Amino acid sequence: MMETEPTEDIDQPLRDRLKAHPGPALLWGAILCVLLLLEGPTYLDGLLGAIGAGLGLLPGAPGAEAFASASAYFGELPHLLSRELIPNRGYYDGSAWQGTFLGLEPKYAWLIRFLLVYAYVAVLLGWLWYGYVLFRRHYRAADWTPTDDVIDRLRSHYWGLFGLAVVVFFVTMAAFAPVIGPTTAEENIEGPYSYDMQYYNEDTETVETVTIGEANLGSASRGSGDSNVGVWSYDDFGRFHPVGTLVSGKDLFTFLAFGARLSLFIGLGSMAIAGFIATTLALVTAYYKGAADLIVVLTSDSVQAMPALLLVILATVVFQNHWISELYNGAMLFILLFALIRWPGLWRAIRGPALQVGEQEWVDAAKSYGQRPTVIMRKHMAPYILGYLLVYASLTLGGVIISVSALSFIGLGINAPTPEWGRAINIGQQYVASQSWHISLIPGLLITLVVTGFNALSDGIRDAIDPQSEGAEGGAAGAAAGGGGG
Amino acid sequence: MSESVVDTVSHQTGETLVDVQDLKTYYEDGGLLGSDPVKAVDGVNFEIARGETFGLVGESGCGKTTLGRTLIQLETATSGAVSFDGTDITELSGGDLKEWRRNAQMVFQDPESSLNDRMTVGEIIREPLDVHEQGTARERREKVRTLLDQVGLMPEHYYRYPHQFSGGQRQRIGIARALALEPEFVVLDEPVSALDVSVQAQILNLLEELQEEFGLTYLFIAHDLSVVRHICDRVGVMYLGNLMEVGPTEQLFQSPENPYTRALLSAIPEPDPTVQVDRITLPGSPPSPRDPPEGCPFATRCPVRIRPEDIDASDAVWDRIREFRDVIRERSRAEQSVGERLKERLGFDTALADSEEIVEEEFDDVTLPPDVQEHVEQAATYLSDGDPDAARAYLREVFGSQCDTETPQYYDVDDRQMSFCHRHAQEHVSPGDELRQRGYDTHDG
Ligand code: SF4
Repeated sequence: MMETEPTEDIDQPLRDRLKAHPGPALLWGAILCVLLLLEGPTYLDGLLGAIGAGLGLLPGAPGAEAFASASAYFGELPHLLSRELIPNRGYYDGSAWQGTFLGLEPKYAWLIRFLLVYAYVAVLLGWLWYGYVLFRRHYRAADWTPTDDVIDRLRSHYWGLFGLAVVVFFVTMAAFAPVIGPTTAEENIEGPYSYDMQYYNEDTETVETVTIGEANLGSASRGSGDSNVGVWSYDDFGRFHPVGTLVSGKDLFTFLAFGARLSLFIGLGSMAIAGFIATTLALVTAYYKGAADLIVVLTSDSVQAMPALLLVILATVVFQNHWISELYNGAMLFILLFALIRWPGLWRAIRGPALQVGEQEWVDAAKSYGQRPTVIMRKHMAPYILGYLLVYASLTLGGVIISVSALSFIGLGINAPTPEWGRAINIGQQYVASQSWHISLIPGLLITLVVTGFNALSDGIRDAIDPQSEGAEGGAAGAAAGGGGG
Repeated sequence: MSESVVDTVSHQTGETLVDVQDLKTYYEDGGLLGSDPVKAVDGVNFEIARGETFGLVGESGCGKTTLGRTLIQLETATSGAVSFDGTDITELSGGDLKEWRRNAQMVFQDPESSLNDRMTVGEIIREPLDVHEQGTARERREKVRTLLDQVGLMPEHYYRYPHQFSGGQRQRIGIARALALEPEFVVLDEPVSALDVSVQAQILNLLEELQEEFGLTYLFIAHDLSVVRHICDRVGVMYLGNLMEVGPTEQLFQSPENPYTRALLSAIPEPDPTVQVDRITLPGSPPSPRDPPEGCPFATRCPVRIRPEDIDASDAVWDRIREFRDVIRERSRAEQSVGERLKERLGFDTALADSEEIVEEEFDDVTLPPDVQEHVEQAATYLSDGDPDAARAYLREVFGSQCDTETPQYYDVDDRQMSFCHRHAQEHVSPGDELRQRGYDTHDG
């Protein structure tokens, strides 16, 4: 406890506390360095690529070239989680596998890479957690904060943890999509006829070269007869498909990984925008009340009164040839549309907590010494509604993922060949009762799992920030701490 | 007792710090546009001398908290002036207002709600200093530690969170925050009412020590009269947005003059159980601050309301008349509601059916003098015609007096003690005499 600490320590800034006790922090930094070294080129590639893409949107695209080439340069450097380091494609020359990692079967080579990705993410998360624990134990001036209780409650909320695990699984899949699949979207899905591959022809006993497109024709899953490549199997070209192939013979796992990227991008993007709008409006209406509140109520009611599905369909048609629907295959348009449609729901969900916190005397106290309204909203009100925002945003996010899939399912949404889960379900629906059931069913189950995961996480956060909602009192830290009397 | 004018009081304590002149604070309470505003503070005059503790008492809802909040500009005054050291602060805005805010701070009622739980104690106390950019970061931290010490907490509490403290300790944190900018004037809004009795005394003592040390001027809002008696130099008694009586604490407690003050004080349990004092129980509940009575705010409940001379009735009959007027009054207010109006339009005759019932209920066990009987019947006719407003106006006309029509003045009733009541005018019997005449026990001479 802090009672024993000498008074002089009270004023020590974080820097001094680090200096006084550098060990744990150094270890933590060292782990970070290792993690960065292992995967550094990927991060640089991604970062520079994003900057380049951003610049490319500006008129004249100043410097976009340079960033793109720098990004490409780093993209080629060796790193841990790469297809080049652990290749899973090769051919069987009758006696051994050629071109695969350590001459292993493609199945195992892929599995190793897959598991390595998750191991890396697990270490990364562990490192973050370790950092929090270190900070809490060694460097934080306060020996207890309200956040500690929230985190502790979340730690023992198994349903919430399950949700968190699903979300991490899904986010990792999306983030590492180019590495995690047995092949890449570019080669296998978007331009199969621009890439060649080699395989071992058993009849002629020679290694032959075909375009991937041609090979795909031979690996199609069409429900009947010989043409099916199911779950956990090889096709005739020695390619391994963890969850089978599509009707077109493309790899379903790769399709799903890139589809996850798209779903997550749309979900997170639209929730970030909608959440920002909802929070800003909730704070402003709770602070100023009266006319401001009335205007927002009317606006949100009119937005909610619009038939959302029709609006989205209309917008996809209207913007068909607009530049905005070119951005990321129309994902950008969806982000904006879903942000527009979903903010009123979020705002309504956090309006109550916002009004409640606006009534607190500490807000009056801040006004009484002349704190600026923007600071009052940010510092004295926002922290109390962000938790609720997270809860409802992750609930809504599941809804957005379903909506995008549903739209793609009916042929609106994201256009072929961009991978999207709803489209896979659509493609495979006529084969559900056949041996090619995997085409529809696996993406369907995945959507269910992901949406359930987000809901579970949202439950977990809700119970963690608001233990009364579960009927269990958090108990906080004893009020008797400290001996100031009074 | 002579008629006198306001603002002639001189304080032994020195010059005036806060001078409140005819202050009104009305607010729209989120109701439909055009509904009557809540008249929380409805024309209040008083002064607070530098260095004194001025108590403000009254039942909840009387406007004392709104008054306190207006004095530190948390609420905007509708009209009137609050001059602070000679500056009318109701006119200030922008940078001037922010600059002035250093001078006046507030300690809030509920220590659970007054501290932001997500900030450390240090951050909470330091925020006013940060807002006004006082000194360097290090100096501010230093100042916070000094403040912690001054309010009886420990320097190491800097990095604790409010959750880790008891109610009394939290209130000490609130006090430290209020004192951070070294204000001259502090509004204490029921600072101990949420605390355990055992802790109350400690906080009150702390407040008194701090006042002495820093020469603070307090406005102490409370409804616990014994606390007020303990800590305040002077007291103002509020009822329905008006200040009914002002005077030095002991004097006012010992010899209250205003009928409302007498009623309020008679509710304090007598420390000596052998002394039997009849409590003056007030009938009914305070009227809505949206629709206060026209003359004296206390007229609807006053035990010594002046009666018109041309009607001779017993106390019991007057009691019934008062109740009857209360009912009609409620009626006419309710009638303004949309639902009632709609019902009326649609021909649901709500009034007719029960107007006789009301009369019967009120008057069935007393014999009314003929003139009173006549007036009551006339009012009942208006009521059954579906016009409670007319009934209300009629009753006011025939049974009303100065109390219902004219706003009283402040009368000097004793040294530095002023009361807001017509009965202090020469032509009327004083409230005390009238009370005794009407059969109440009063414990003053
Ligand atoms: S003015 Fe009339 S109603 Fe008001 S307190 Fe005096 S006697 Fe009572």
